[in-house]
Amino acid sequence: MSKTGTGFELSSQSNIQRRNLLKLMGGGAALLAGGGLLSGRAFAQDKTVAFWGTATLDIGEKWQEFAKKNGVLPEFTDNGNDVGPVVARLAAGNANDLFDVGGFQGGAEGELARQGLIVPWDVSKIPNYESVWQWAKDIPYLKHDGKQFGIPTVVNADSIIYRPDKLGKVDSYGVIFDPKLKGRVAMEDAWINSAVFTAMYLKESQNAPIVEPGNLTESELGLVMEFLIKHKRDGQFRTFWNGWEQGVQLVANEEVDAMTGWEPIVYEGRKRGLQVEYASPVEGYEGWGNNTVLLKGAQDRGAADAAHEFVNGLLGGFYGCELGQSRGYLVPTDNNVAYATANPSEYPVEAVQKLGDHVKAKFGGKVYWQNCRPDNFQLYEEWWQRLRNA
Amino acid sequence: MKIFPAAPAALMSAPVLAIALLGIAPLVVVVAWSFWAWDPSTYWIKPELSFAGYAAILEAGRWTVILSTMFKAALTAIICLLIAYPTAYAVQFLASRRLAMIMLALMTIPFFTSYLIRSFSWRLVLGRTGVINTFLQDIGLTSAPIDWLLFSDFAVIVGLVASYLPFATFPLILSMQRVDPVLISAARDLGAGFWTVLRTVLLPLTRSGIFAGFLFVFVMAVGSSTEVQMLGGAGASIVSVMISDVMRVANFPLAFAISTVVLVVIFGLVLIGDRRLGLARLFEDRSQ
Repeated sequence: MSKTGTGFELSSQSNIQRRNLLKLMGGGAALLAGGGLLSGRAFAQDKTVAFWGTATLDIGEKWQEFAKKNGVLPEFTDNGNDVGPVVARLAAGNANDLFDVGGFQGGAEGELARQGLIVPWDVSKIPNYESVWQWAKDIPYLKHDGKQFGIPTVVNADSIIYRPDKLGKVDSYGVIFDPKLKGRVAMEDAWINSAVFTAMYLKESQNAPIVEPGNLTESELGLVMEFLIKHKRDGQFRTFWNGWEQGVQLVANEEVDAMTGWEPIVYEGRKRGLQVEYASPVEGYEGWGNNTVLLKGAQDRGAADAAHEFVNGLLGGFYGCELGQSRGYLVPTDNNVAYATANPSEYPVEAVQKLGDHVKAKFGGKVYWQNCRPDNFQLYEEWWQRLRNA
Repeated sequence: MKIFPAAPAALMSAPVLAIALLGIAPLVVVVAWSFWAWDPSTYWIKPELSFAGYAAILEAGRWTVILSTMFKAALTAIICLLIAYPTAYAVQFLASRRLAMIMLALMTIPFFTSYLIRSFSWRLVLGRTGVINTFLQDIGLTSAPIDWLLFSDFAVIVGLVASYLPFATFPLILSMQRVDPVLISAARDLGAGFWTVLRTVLLPLTRSGIFAGFLFVFVMAVGSSTEVQMLGGAGASIVSVMISDVMRVANFPLAFAISTVVLVVIFGLVLIGDRRLGLARLFEDRSQ
């Protein structure tokens, strides 16, 4: 899930341009060095890691500062976020030749590991891994055959955005399917989210025989999607929304009174003077994460150690503070607060602490994890098509 | 200046090569790969003859998306032509040169901004608290917002027409420029009224422009997705959205098969149009 745009500043620099620029700079510097114009000291920071991640993970110009602190300069390339093309490019394309570390939506790790496209991390080489919160370490999908294939890098949990002035207090996904709100609610235009939310509601509030909302069996999926199709046919949904600005507009222009979605939309709505709240549903939150994986190509090229240093840096505090400030996302470690405390002029400690506490509180209750690659993922698409056509 | 016989071929070779490499070759690859089998072990395709992609088009109502896309695109093209024809007529035959330039410039202004913004702005116009609903309620015509103005097929067609109208207008202007004004004057001198001139002179002579305008809009509407995703109802789909859904689960043969079906329809349309309506005439040398 690419959840960009929290109202904070976003990096507009093209990653491809940046990579090319770095290459050009590298080439130019090599020429100068070859000519004896630059001393060896100028290349003290000579380790790079090609990081192929969801755009959400990019901190733009701040990577230079990251490199100074951690001794590894990431060359970031946006992977487009859709796991289908990402997996295909790893399996049949040249992604493993180009990139060292992947930053992917959680769920595909097992499959990538089975195909030998990613290799396990050696957490003993990632000292900061110790600081990762236990519930984040327990995210399903991170391990395969007992080995650590994913390192949790960004986590959060989603639920319902709603208007208390219209609906009072909302504490259940039932509001999304309430016939009294026909045409006044919306969900996201993606099975990866909407199927999970619906499954959570059916499991927790309707006692439907669903074991794992993030990984539905064929019959569970049928149950969930038939339920959605019925409600769509009844005209329950105003629309299925896509992307940050569309989500904000639905709330800001009073198109809906409740919708499943991302918490930053609530903050944006409030900024625009609206009374909007984020529900803490009895059925729980939908947790999601972006996890970093070590691509096999990195190991083959002898870049695995640099990759470990890079990931250790991601968990070191600076990256967490920067990502929290620029995008409102959380790296699940106390190192963020430690870094902010040590560098109060860079990041306000209270804000860093508050973000961490807020997300932690969500994970204190029930959470079902979003899964970009459920076992029946092809069937999910087929059902989603049926829903579209219903 | 004497032109050697080999010169035209030499001049043509570069663009022909460019079209072959950049246009035709990828399409040939798409068509060929649509008959390959999906390989779950590599998440890619393997060179084994398979019709699974085409069979899957018949499942989950995908073929209805293709049909509804064609219908929406055709409707958009027809509405664009209905608006563009009088516009082109005014530009070519009624307006002064200066006014014609202003009209053409006005038509291109929406393109100064991105297609995303263009579509998004319609949400602000057609929404519950949008310009139209507010106006209708202010003047007392409605007591509550009209919901179907936004997130409906109506909104999608409005968005598509607004996006692609100039692509119908410009070929029509081009074809009207090729109409000899003497023919119109002669018809009028013989007593033909406006509608008779339109029916017997103008429409037959601008057939190729009408078809070119239709084709441009149709093709662009078939390939659009933003208008549907921004303005359509819950889960509204169009071919490009469906392909995107399918690519998300790495079902490449199906994505290629859907693309091939659309390609065949569009190429068929071009061939039929050229044969029956003389599309190529639009590009013929005037002096011939």
